[in-house]
Amino acid sequence: MFKRFWRRLVKNRVAYLFILPTILGMLALHVTPIVQGIYMSFLELNQYTINQYLGAPFIGFKNYYDVLINPRSPIRLGLFEAARNTTIYTILVTFGTLFIGLIAALMVNREFRGKGLVRTLFLFPWVVPTYVTGILWGFMWQKEVGIINILLKDVFHLIPEKPFWLIGPNTLWAIIIPTVWRYWPFSMLLLLAGLQQIPEELYEAADIDGASPWRKFWMITWPLLKPVWAILILFGLIYNVYGFNIVIMMFGFGAGFPGEWGDILMTNIFRNAFMQWNFGMGAAISVLLMITMIIIVNIWFYFYRKAEEVRE
Amino acid sequence: MPYYLKKRIIDIIISMFMIAFLAVNLFPIGWMMYCSVKENLDILIGKIPLSRAHNNIYEIFVEGDNLWAFTSDGGINKWDRKTLEEKDHTTAQTMTTHFLLDRNYIWVSSANKGLLRFEKNNLKNSKEYKLPLPDFDKAKVVGTTLVEGWGKIYFTIQYKGYEEILEFDPGSLKVARKFDLKNKLSPSQIRSLLPQGDILWVGLDKGLLKFDIKSGKVLTVYDLAKYLPIGVSRMRSVDSRIVISGNTGAFIFDPKTGSVAGTLFQGNVLGLRVFGDKVYIGTSRGFLTYDIKTGQTENYENLFRQVRADGTVIKNSEFTPAEVTAFALNQNQLYLGSSYGRVSALNLNLRRVNGTSSARMGHLVIAWINYLDMWRNVDFGLYLRNSFFICGMAMVFTMIFSTLAAYALSRFDFPGSRTFSMAILATQMVPGIMFLIPTYSNFVKITEMTSIPIKGTFYGMIFVYSVFFIPFSIWILRGFFAAIPLELEEAARIDGCSPIQVFWYVVLPLAVPGIIATGVYVFLTTWDELMFAWVLTSADTMTIPVGIRNFVGNYQNRFDLIMAAATVATVPVMILFFMLQKYIVKGLTAGAVKG
Repeated sequence: MFKRFWRRLVKNRVAYLFILPTILGMLALHVTPIVQGIYMSFLELNQYTINQYLGAPFIGFKNYYDVLINPRSPIRLGLFEAARNTTIYTILVTFGTLFIGLIAALMVNREFRGKGLVRTLFLFPWVVPTYVTGILWGFMWQKEVGIINILLKDVFHLIPEKPFWLIGPNTLWAIIIPTVWRYWPFSMLLLLAGLQQIPEELYEAADIDGASPWRKFWMITWPLLKPVWAILILFGLIYNVYGFNIVIMMFGFGAGFPGEWGDILMTNIFRNAFMQWNFGMGAAISVLLMITMIIIVNIWFYFYRKAEEVRE
Repeated sequence: MPYYLKKRIIDIIISMFMIAFLAVNLFPIGWMMYCSVKENLDILIGKIPLSRAHNNIYEIFVEGDNLWAFTSDGGINKWDRKTLEEKDHTTAQTMTTHFLLDRNYIWVSSANKGLLRFEKNNLKNSKEYKLPLPDFDKAKVVGTTLVEGWGKIYFTIQYKGYEEILEFDPGSLKVARKFDLKNKLSPSQIRSLLPQGDILWVGLDKGLLKFDIKSGKVLTVYDLAKYLPIGVSRMRSVDSRIVISGNTGAFIFDPKTGSVAGTLFQGNVLGLRVFGDKVYIGTSRGFLTYDIKTGQTENYENLFRQVRADGTVIKNSEFTPAEVTAFALNQNQLYLGSSYGRVSALNLNLRRVNGTSSARMGHLVIAWINYLDMWRNVDFGLYLRNSFFICGMAMVFTMIFSTLAAYALSRFDFPGSRTFSMAILATQMVPGIMFLIPTYSNFVKITEMTSIPIKGTFYGMIFVYSVFFIPFSIWILRGFFAAIPLELEEAARIDGCSPIQVFWYVVLPLAVPGIIATGVYVFLTTWDELMFAWVLTSADTMTIPVGIRNFVGNYQNRFDLIMAAATVATVPVMILFFMLQKYIVKGLTAGAVKG
């Protein structure tokens, strides 16, 4: 038994040689930090004790208590708001990008002149760096000088007063719309590739049967695109829960607080950890977030597998 | 309705919708680039179109039947003297302009284009002469000065600390001499020039300078700061004396005594001209004349429309803009040039207006200067270099190691391969800040213990980026290796290649498109990374996101500069992406669509 195992090890020594650098790097920057991070979440590691590193006082689940239960903790309220915003933000952005990407992919997946040019132009927002997206939309959302309010009020006269976009509940829209704008071309790209793999014969057969375009979409296109949109939903959930750049750069151009309706989890943790030097608390929130995320991803896998089995 | 027609109509509707969607979608990028060349003031008042250069009349001359009107945006207008109708027009599109009229040519000086020469009879015919000027901040140039004397043209720019005069020879079309005017009032700014006899009078921002043109030496310096605190902006000669003016008034300066002999007017002087014995002084409410011989003042301000500060009209008149900046006299006819390009003809005897005319609108101002200004205010070149270096090196290391690991994963079924690929997937589910908090503490602690700096160094940053993007790259590259037929490798093995040789000579060449695609994607993602760079870089190793964050934090109201910085950060990645678009799209879709 052991001998066979040893022989397999020796036989695959090239493979081990190949993955060795990756393993070492990941040990240093993935495995160790995760272990340390989980440990740090049990420490009172704040601005006074930060020099003590891992020797800071061990306080058990105090950080978790403060984050989740303690009614007097200011962090708890901020975290609750951030979690609420992140949930709305993630769901709307994920499905918004999917929806717009699908419409765009269907529009582009026709025969017309200048097809290549239009596809390229559609990809433009995706190439803009996310921090520039934050800066740019932060400028466009400005109350007096921002182009959006100027267009809405002064040019098209759609609204009587210029609203605040970066203060109050509007903030949520102010962070969702730019994110959708930045990420939908990616959805379009993948959905278009998926569309092109659907065999033409299926549509021809449906035409012979006299199916309406609507029915053709729901019976052929949507089910056959499933691997693509399923992966897009997974990517969207992960990327948007961990979204940071667009939101942080939009408020005061990276210097401001996003407000109770604009703060998302990443900005919240970053502020707790690196602006108030409350590493223990930051680590605790990160651990909670990580656990939540693993649960969500597992739920996704469960549904994905179940759907696969049904089809087979 | 026939089927094909219906289909065609639907097709057209979809196309129109698509174009509208495209326009909305590209609007933010266009707006960013547009605002980066707009003037900040226009952005702050919410004005959408680009502003135009001011077309205030700078100088007017009567010459035969022609009336020449020069505007401050570089516009040259040739009008009929009697009817004030336009005969010819051109624009030099210059800023901070000064004009000079000689027998055949019109000379135009500017800070941005040097010296230009236009032919009088054919204004379309122009030449540009580069002048040997030092490298200066073009945004801070107040103006240029150009005078003719002794058959030569004297040129200087109004720039704090620049104290040189260039002598340009119109015959040989070359700069003949260069004078240095360092004096006891230095550093000063040259505001105006006046040739008189053998002397070139130089108006400074603090006084007046007597300069001998033959020997090229500074003779005397007169401190006039108590009369004209911000400088002598205009000079005209009267007999042997000089009329000087500035924003506090107009005075007579006597070169013999070297002092101010009299005050003609107190207030802001916008135009100054001498015809015979009379000095014409343009003010912000009209103009007045002063007779040198008799000392009489004649006020013409009551001819003009007068407006209170709050906008209510005190007195109405045909003369609307009352800021008189230029004069020209032809017998009894006085031509007045004023702000906003207005020229009016006034009969001095009857005190009546004969006609008015307007110069054309100024050219659109495209403020490329924002980019220079932004570049000067931040060390953007450093950030750009840092970003290219860190992202490029990280990409190289990531691709080397992830190619090896992805190949191992896709071809060998070794003990631990399942765990390894699960671990790779799992890292993508952990928030980046979960790694960042301990990593930051570790880096600080390691430096404390071994005194090797890691935080804020290039190698630290490259190491961090390389390792963090390896799992993702492995995940994408695996699909590419899986697509390479196994038979090729088996054939190579039978021919006697070692596993490493197979990898190097057979697999790697086939995987190059995939490696390029993944590499570019990694580069773009690292270029976009803010959180790690924010915490782990120092002032010397700052990448663009961090640099821009600092910059825009300090210049919150300079939207023009912020947009210029955003454009500069976007354009390199855009170019890179669209050069390699084919690879990236193919690589990403191949990986994802296969699941």
